[in-house]
Amino acid sequence: MSDFEPKIVAFFCNWCTYGAADLAGVSRLDYPPNFRVVRLPCTGRLNPKYILEAFKRGADGVWVSGCHPGDCHYIAGNYHARRKFVLLHHMLETLGVEPGRLHFSWISSAEAIKFQEVARDVVEKVRACGPNESFRKAELGLAEVA
Amino acid sequence: MMSLEDLIKKIQEAAKRALKEGKAEVVLGYQAGTTPMAVAPLFARTEGDCDKLVWSNFAKTNLSTYLPELKDKKVAIIAKGCDARSAVGQVVEHQIPRENVYVIGVPCTGMVDLEALKSKEARPVAASDEDMATIKLRGDGWETNIAKEEILRRNCKTCICRTPKMADEVIGDEVPSMTPDDYADLKELAAKSPEEKMAYFKGMVKDCLRCYACRNACPLCYCPVCFVDETRPQWLGKSQDEMDTFVFHLLRGFHCAGRCTGCGACEAACPVGIKVREFNRIMEEEVQKDWNYIPGLDWEQKPPLTTYRPDDEADFIR
Amino acid sequence: MAEYIVKESALKDFFKSLTEGRKLLAPVEVDGKLQMAEADPENISINYTNTHMSPKSAFFPQTERLMAFHNDAEKSDPFVYKPLGLDNVDQTVLFGIRPCDARGLVVDNLVFQNNRFTDPYWKTKYESSIKIGLACHNPCPQCFCTSVGGSPFGEEGLDVLAVVKDGGLALKSVTAEGEEFLKGLKGTESGDTSATMDELKKAAEAKMPAAIDQTQVEAREIMDIYNQPHWQETADRCLNCGVCTFVCPTCHCFDIQDETSAKGGVRMRNWDTCMSWLYSMHGTGHNPRPTKTERVRQRFMHKLKYIPMKQNGNCGCIGCGRCVTMCPVNIDIREVARQMNQ
Repeated sequence: MSDFEPKIVAFFCNWCTYGAADLAGVSRLDYPPNFRVVRLPCTGRLNPKYILEAFKRGADGVWVSGCHPGDCHYIAGNYHARRKFVLLHHMLETLGVEPGRLHFSWISSAEAIKFQEVARDVVEKVRACGPNESFRKAELGLAEVA
Repeated sequence: MMSLEDLIKKIQEAAKRALKEGKAEVVLGYQAGTTPMAVAPLFARTEGDCDKLVWSNFAKTNLSTYLPELKDKKVAIIAKGCDARSAVGQVVEHQIPRENVYVIGVPCTGMVDLEALKSKEARPVAASDEDMATIKLRGDGWETNIAKEEILRRNCKTCICRTPKMADEVIGDEVPSMTPDDYADLKELAAKSPEEKMAYFKGMVKDCLRCYACRNACPLCYCPVCFVDETRPQWLGKSQDEMDTFVFHLLRGFHCAGRCTGCGACEAACPVGIKVREFNRIMEEEVQKDWNYIPGLDWEQKPPLTTYRPDDEADFIR
Repeated sequence: MAEYIVKESALKDFFKSLTEGRKLLAPVEVDGKLQMAEADPENISINYTNTHMSPKSAFFPQTERLMAFHNDAEKSDPFVYKPLGLDNVDQTVLFGIRPCDARGLVVDNLVFQNNRFTDPYWKTKYESSIKIGLACHNPCPQCFCTSVGGSPFGEEGLDVLAVVKDGGLALKSVTAEGEEFLKGLKGTESGDTSATMDELKKAAEAKMPAAIDQTQVEAREIMDIYNQPHWQETADRCLNCGVCTFVCPTCHCFDIQDETSAKGGVRMRNWDTCMSWLYSMHGTGHNPRPTKTERVRQRFMHKLKYIPMKQNGNCGCIGCGRCVTMCPVNIDIREVARQMNQ
């Protein structure tokens, strides 16, 4: 599927990656438009069920990005988040979600170039996985009434 | 080894003592069941109740499940290793005050897997009897004995806490632990393709009735509102949609990470025989590997997800 | 009444002819468990105690799509719910329902079809089906149909009653539909089966436990039973897991859910359970059954008091014993019934 454009849900921390996206924008660093951003106060706020909900509703990929370890605005939010991510990442990998669908990164608000690079890479990796068909809810099946 | 009768007598004595000495207002234990191969939990509040207490190879539930709802009372619990570990878990997670729970540990040589028993003896069983090592079954014109060793539950085969040494008192003879789980099957699975893995796990849960008995039987599932019952927003659909069912099992397993003591109550409660503990084992292995943490062995331990180390490894994060 | 014999050698022909023009549901092994499921005539079992789950799902599936709408404004009727699954309903034949489960279907039938209300989704499936029962020779230790007014050879709710005889079957029609249906089948020979049936019936009934006395439950006011002290004791150990309700042939409670997507929506109903706090939760935030005690009491009151009051004294429990076998904490409805009657 060469014309497949993946839909990616991105969860960005307000204090870093969200700023990096802004900086990339004002710096005219172009990055692909395939992700829809959900702004969080901290990656520690990210309940793993948000990630699953995104997939469940048909997202082809999910990208979570927050502050570098040690830089958390709330001192330790991302340290706690990291432990959750380790488990969730392992769980999804074991259950057979393609490794290219779920991405994590630490990007500070000054790292516009890293943001651009990771954004491009995330989109390409998800694109390579193809449309998410196995880890989403089935269509409602409205053929009978259509 | 102590005989089953002697052990029962000791349990009854310990329960009476706990009531008399004011260590507890109620003792949680097991009483004889109304059908073969079953025991029922008993809330013993008087000395007379204590005489009904038994011990059995069919004690499939985890009595710690009842502790959070009794947290304002002083409770003694007749606990096998996994029950005691769950009680410890509830204390370290601040669900019950340490001073309100008195653990009477009973060394345990494992519980019977009814499915395994059925595969050895498919005929309808009219009556059962047991001692420490043998299950005696009787039916319409037949009788047979099965060695318990052969029909142990899977979690009992890898039990690392057959004698609950952290209990407030231990009755009966100490039994050595089993060889811990080596997760060989999970390692084998890890080499497979994503499609194969997902097909395997989806197949595992396809008969799920979404009754959530696994959750209700679990001593860890004490949330006032479970994520499956949340309605604003509703995270999970309630139909038999494959993905909703799959995500339920995934998240249930995830929520047990670093907390599951492998008691097997979830699997024993499942009416359709889903191996729900497989999801917990995935997390169990990872928590041990990453943070060297085994839940429920120490009253002072700190659950791994309530803490962190600055140098925690996570090389998949860019 | 028509009577037939199917010899062991003719069983396969007989089962095959059941599938002609109808979908056959019969006891077959699915993933190591015997279930009432769509069956290959080659693999049907006639020697079993009972199916793992009850046959209610044939007419009242765990998830049933009731109606749907699309939101395409270009087409006619956007946002209008239209019923699903009422046309072209599969004509089914259920072979091998145990008499207890057949009585369970009768209880459900009166819930879904009565003088006040008819549920079309139940009706279209239930009325068009042929139900062939298989009498019980060897009741299992957990079952007690005779204690609640049934019989291992009961005919209620069935079109045809069969019994295993010399490795084959003896059949007798119960209803006119059953008689008509039997005429068209292959592998049958006419033969007198009543004598055999009577004899086997007596032998089977003799194996059953004594009846549970429910005279006091019948006589007492609802509130007298409602306020009995034993409920607390039962609730103590109940996990509210709901296994009893899901495996019960007469539990019929459901939850209506709407699911929508970008293209439209579906209304469906799913099995629900009175053991769940969410089941009785009101939109106001008030819950009339706030604790385990009320929820556990509801199930037994419904089975043993409310249904008999509404359905002319017929017990809501049909004695299949599934809840007794599968309850993780051994709450035994026979024991509760005795306590209610004290």
